[in-house]
Amino acid sequence: MVRRFVISPCVLWLPLACLTLSAAARTRPHYGGTLRIETQGDPWQMPDGIARRLVLDTLTTVSDAGSAQPALAVRWESQNAAHRWEFWIRAGVHFQDGEPLTSDAVAAALTDVCSRAGAGTCPWRTVRGVGSSVVFTSDSPVADLPEMLAQTEFAIARQDVKAAVIGTGPFRVTGYTNGALTLAANDDCWSGRPFADAVEVRTRRTVRDQWLDLSVGRADVVEVPPELLRQAQQQRMNLLVSRPADLLALTIAPSGPFASREMRQAATLAVDRMALYNVIFQKQGEVTASLLPAELSGYAFLFPSDRDLDRARALRGGATSPPIMLSVSDTSATMQLAAQRLALNLHEAGFNLQVATASRPTVALELQKVHLEATDPGAALDQMLAHFGENGSVTGTDAATLWQEERGVLDKETIVPLLWLPRAWAVGERVRDLHILSDGEPDLSDASLEGGK
Amino acid sequence: MQNARYNPPQRIMVKMCWAVVVAALACLTPAARAATWEQPAAELAKQIAALSGPGAVKLTLRNESGLAAVEIPAIQRLIERDLRGFGVVAGGKDSATLIRVTLSENLQGGLWVAEVVEGTETRVTMLRVNLGGATSASGPPNLVVQRALMITQSDPVLDAQIFTVGTLARLVVLEPEQIVTYVRSSAGLAFASAPAGGGWVEDQRFAIAHTRPYPRDMRGELVPAAQDHLFDAYLPSVQCAGTNTGAQIAVTCADSDDPWPVSGPVGNQVAGLVGGPTGVPQRAFYNAMRDFFTGVLAPGYGMDLPPFYQASDIPRPTGTGLLLNTVDGRLLLIENNTLKPIAGTNDWGSDFAVLRSECGSGVQVLVSGSGAASAGDSLRVYEVVGREAVAVSPPLPVEGAVMAIHAENNGTGATVIVRRDAPLRYEVWNGSALCH
Repeated sequence: MVRRFVISPCVLWLPLACLTLSAAARTRPHYGGTLRIETQGDPWQMPDGIARRLVLDTLTTVSDAGSAQPALAVRWESQNAAHRWEFWIRAGVHFQDGEPLTSDAVAAALTDVCSRAGAGTCPWRTVRGVGSSVVFTSDSPVADLPEMLAQTEFAIARQDVKAAVIGTGPFRVTGYTNGALTLAANDDCWSGRPFADAVEVRTRRTVRDQWLDLSVGRADVVEVPPELLRQAQQQRMNLLVSRPADLLALTIAPSGPFASREMRQAATLAVDRMALYNVIFQKQGEVTASLLPAELSGYAFLFPSDRDLDRARALRGGATSPPIMLSVSDTSATMQLAAQRLALNLHEAGFNLQVATASRPTVALELQKVHLEATDPGAALDQMLAHFGENGSVTGTDAATLWQEERGVLDKETIVPLLWLPRAWAVGERVRDLHILSDGEPDLSDASLEGGK
Repeated sequence: MQNARYNPPQRIMVKMCWAVVVAALACLTPAARAATWEQPAAELAKQIAALSGPGAVKLTLRNESGLAAVEIPAIQRLIERDLRGFGVVAGGKDSATLIRVTLSENLQGGLWVAEVVEGTETRVTMLRVNLGGATSASGPPNLVVQRALMITQSDPVLDAQIFTVGTLARLVVLEPEQIVTYVRSSAGLAFASAPAGGGWVEDQRFAIAHTRPYPRDMRGELVPAAQDHLFDAYLPSVQCAGTNTGAQIAVTCADSDDPWPVSGPVGNQVAGLVGGPTGVPQRAFYNAMRDFFTGVLAPGYGMDLPPFYQASDIPRPTGTGLLLNTVDGRLLLIENNTLKPIAGTNDWGSDFAVLRSECGSGVQVLVSGSGAASAGDSLRVYEVVGREAVAVSPPLPVEGAVMAIHAENNGTGATVIVRRDAPLRYEVWNGSALCH
């Protein structure tokens, strides 16, 4: 019998140690120094670009338990059965260019987010500034709007005359040269000046280059993909490992060869999650058939994740399958390997699959990696449903309602959750008090450096 | 060098501590915990019965939560008993109805899930359960000092002190954004509901208005007022005054860059001197944008001092000295208008308190640990002998991180603020040196 849940020892260990390096500040943090971080991606990419968190703030943040906490908004109130929300803006906050943060500026920033992201992205119909508060109205109730507004997608940003991004966060942008984004401490930040004087983000660095830079002291924080966690542990790197933060999922277009639900169900039953977990991702993360991690929902075990090849074959029938294209949203070698493994799984059920080397707009199957930012179950499900193009927001907050809504979506057999993966970072010896945020990103604003002043 | 000798153990105290520990453990026995599950078991049974209807069923139960294995049989018995009350009889091995109960949990707490399987149809019901402290068997920090938990709460605590007017003792808790006062509950030592423990119940709360942003590593201090009021609270760029107005307290706050008092109470009471040979209390200017004192004292000693995290009077054979823990990690002693480095402090953290006790020389320094603390923090007691800090206790682990240590007003103990994660909470301990 295949186990439904597999959680690596490190993930079990997470609440105690993996999330924080030197969490206990036995000596007080020092001020000063430049923190150097390297990434493969774009520091401004949505939703998890590292610079977004350092420069911008959100109206709320979420606690480890997933509940909304004050940030740029100090309090909020739901009215008219969650069709109207009012958020009161913190007084005395300034953008990094000295402009005061007003409710009108917040409303303008959020309106800009919605217009750039396209229709349906934002759960509200209108947002406007009224005195010291911002008022949201929506056609349907949005019970978890405070938790949703904690996502960096809804961060409050302005652009100056040179089109540079300005926020209210702990760091401000000072330059971008030779692939390195430089940020300086915001002395007047409402949440306190950060400990480091500056942050340097070197972008588009391969993992190999990042690890080399860390080993020779040219970088302080570098990425560790989940499939390389074991190797990093063997190399005795100082590691920070997050909770499950990325969902690996297969999407099936309900048209063409998968127009019938039986065919989609056949594909779902044919995937071998354990092989992905054991072979491709080196036993990191957790096997899942749910859109939410087990620790977030508590009910993930209700979605069976076992492979049933006989039933998959029976559902598919004996007809010859036309060639079907499987696309991958991410061009990394690991994702390509995962796609090839899935193609093999489906081939065993009688499907004739070809793996595309790049993401294509119209394909029957797509392997995706989806970053989860929310830690409130309702907001997290909302985020996932929005990502997969499921309209409407979650109407309830209790576990039974969420499970029913999720089951309703998964029963269509168009989304096949496969694995929840952690995010991991290797950290140099001079870095202190670096925490991992609930979505797996490092909290550089609270980190300090040995030898600072 | 001769090691300090100490009084024999205080057996009565040791026995009392054990009695408390044994009593606490007794509260965690499965029999006692079973009562905790009565209500959720009854509620889940009701929900199951509503789905299955009366009759024989096959019941399975598995634990996917942090509940201890010894608790599971008791929970199963409770559910089976409560199901019988609704006419649902568990134990029918050949029954067509299968009830799968999973004791799960998520970030919000316990989640008990029941699946009622009849043929190909599965119906599900869920119940959120407050696990309370059930998943954690960990006890309070195992300190070398005699200790008592004063309060625990989720909001950050900067300092906490007890101020007594007449016969009324008030616990004043300083937080970054407010001051909260507590009084003893009428139930005496019975534990009150959270956040206060140890019999304290909330009395009043006062918001602290501040116009400038606070630094990230927030610090604050409560000190007894010298003359016309009860206490002063010092925070970065803010000062508050607490005044006793009969049955209540009034607090007023204002922006202030005034220096903070650093002459501790130990010097007053042990040596009869205040703030060094001149007898003048020393105050230190705090860098409101950082987490340390600038090094400028008022009135000062006529010498340049480096920035420091903490300073306290310490009785010395020749009078009262001032002990400084500098930002660059050194411990300095100002004695007879001379600045002397103290050796043996590699393991010192940034926070300490000078205590008066009936052990050894009568004056010890309670210190948090230094360096990276991936395995938690620690507390240790030292004596400053000549120019050397000598450990007079083994380092004892603290579950969590020591965020601050402040000498108590009477000089015999210290307030220790401990931050614990998962879930985040701040504990305020009253600690004093325990003789060996």
